[in-house]
Amino acid sequence: MSEDKRPDSVLAAEYALGLLEGEELLAARAREASDGAFAAEFAQWQDRLAPLADDIDPRMPRAELWAKIEAAMGADAGTAEVVSLRRKVRRWQWIGALSAAAAVALAIFALPMQQAPDGPSGTIANGPALTQPPLAANMPIEGTPLRLDLTYLPDAHSLLVTAVGLSADGVHDHEIWLVPDEGELISLGVVTPGEVTAHEVPLEVAPRIHGGSQLLLTREPLGGKPPQAAAGPVVAEARFAAI
Amino acid sequence: MQRASKAARDRLKTAMSRLAGGDRAALEDIYRATSAKLFGICLRILGDEKEAEDALQDVYLTLWRRADRYDPERASPIAWLATFARNRAIDRLRTGKVRGGAVPEDKAASLSDGSPLPDSMLIDEEREARVRACLEELDETPRDAIRSAFFEGRTYAELAERQGVPLGTMKSWIRRGLAKLKACMEAGE
Repeated sequence: MSEDKRPDSVLAAEYALGLLEGEELLAARAREASDGAFAAEFAQWQDRLAPLADDIDPRMPRAELWAKIEAAMGADAGTAEVVSLRRKVRRWQWIGALSAAAAVALAIFALPMQQAPDGPSGTIANGPALTQPPLAANMPIEGTPLRLDLTYLPDAHSLLVTAVGLSADGVHDHEIWLVPDEGELISLGVVTPGEVTAHEVPLEVAPRIHGGSQLLLTREPLGGKPPQAAAGPVVAEARFAAI
Repeated sequence: MQRASKAARDRLKTAMSRLAGGDRAALEDIYRATSAKLFGICLRILGDEKEAEDALQDVYLTLWRRADRYDPERASPIAWLATFARNRAIDRLRTGKVRGGAVPEDKAASLSDGSPLPDSMLIDEEREARVRACLEELDETPRDAIRSAFFEGRTYAELAERQGVPLGTMKSWIRRGLAKLKACMEAGE
C-alpha cells in the first residue's frame, strides 16, 4: 500500500472516531502522548463528535450491576489515597497469576509454561548476592520515536522506570511485565507517564531477573490490568542487559 | 423541563467534583444519572448485553479510581463520560473477545423495543450541535461510513469489507469526508 498521507487534523479525526487499528493506532496514541497540538486536535474532535451520542437510545442496565460496582469499589480505598494505595496494590499483584493473558502472551513468544521449580525459593532464603551489576533495558515503542528506559538496581531492590516524554492519555495505563524463564508473567508495575519512578522489586522476584530477561509492555485500563481480566495487547518488548 | 435538565447537569458537575475529592457516595449519584445513557452507548457498540455490562462496570470503576482525569474546564461531564464510555467499548471490541460486534444502524432501532426508555441526560440539549448539520452536508457514502464508525466502532478495514471496496478507496472517501466535516465545523466555531 502506498504511504498514507493526510493532514494531522484528519488523522486526529480518524483516531477520535476509532477507525485506526494496529500500528497506525499505536502511532496515533504515541503522537497524542508526545505532541500537545495533536492531542488538542484529538480532544477537539472528541468534543465535536460527542453530541452524536445523543442519537443512541438510553438503556437501563440490570439493577444488579450497581451492586457489583459497589462491591468492586469496596476492594479499593478512597480516591484521595489512590496514589499511595496503587503502590500497595501493585505489590499485591506482583506475583499475581496472569492466567489466560499469560497463556496468550507466552504462546506468542513461544515460551514454555511450566511450574516454577523449587530452585529460586532456595536463593530467597539467602537473599540475592551482595553486589550485582545493574541491568538496563531500552523499550522502543513501535511506530513512534518514544521509548521507555528501565534500569534494575539489584542491590536497591529497585527498578527505575524513565517515562519522560510520555504523557497520559486519560484512558489507558501501561504495565511492565517480566517474562521469567519459567512460570507466569510477573507485573513490575504500571508506568507513570512523564516521570522517573522507582518501582520496588520484591525479594522473591529479584532472583528471577537476570541479563537477557525479557520484558513486555501491555496497554491496560487505567490503574493497570484488572485482577480478573486478561492482559491488554503487548505494545513493546525489550531484554535486560548488564551495564 | 429546561430548568430541570439544567439542575441535573449541575448536580452531575457537583458529583464529579465530589468524586475527585474522594467521596464514595458521589459515584452512585453519577451512576444513577448517567448509567442508562452510557449503557446505551456500550450496548450499541458491543451488541451484547453481557459485554456492555462489563464495559459499563469498567467505566465507573475507572472513574472511581481516577476521578482526577476529568477536566471540568474542557468538556461537560456528560459529554466527557459519553466519550469515555464509547472509547472503552471500542477498546473492548478491538481486543477481539466480542464476537457479534455492534448492531448495524438499521437494526439498532429494534434494540429499544419492549422496555420503556429511561430519561437520560443529553449532551446537546437543544439538538443543535453543528456536527449534525455538517454531517448532512456530506455525500451519502462518506456520511454513512463516518456514522458507522461512530455508532458501531467500525475500523477502516471493516467498512471497506462491508462496502466491498478496496481499503484505499474507503480511506480516501472517509478522509475527504472528514476534511469537509472539519471545514464545515470550523465555519461555525
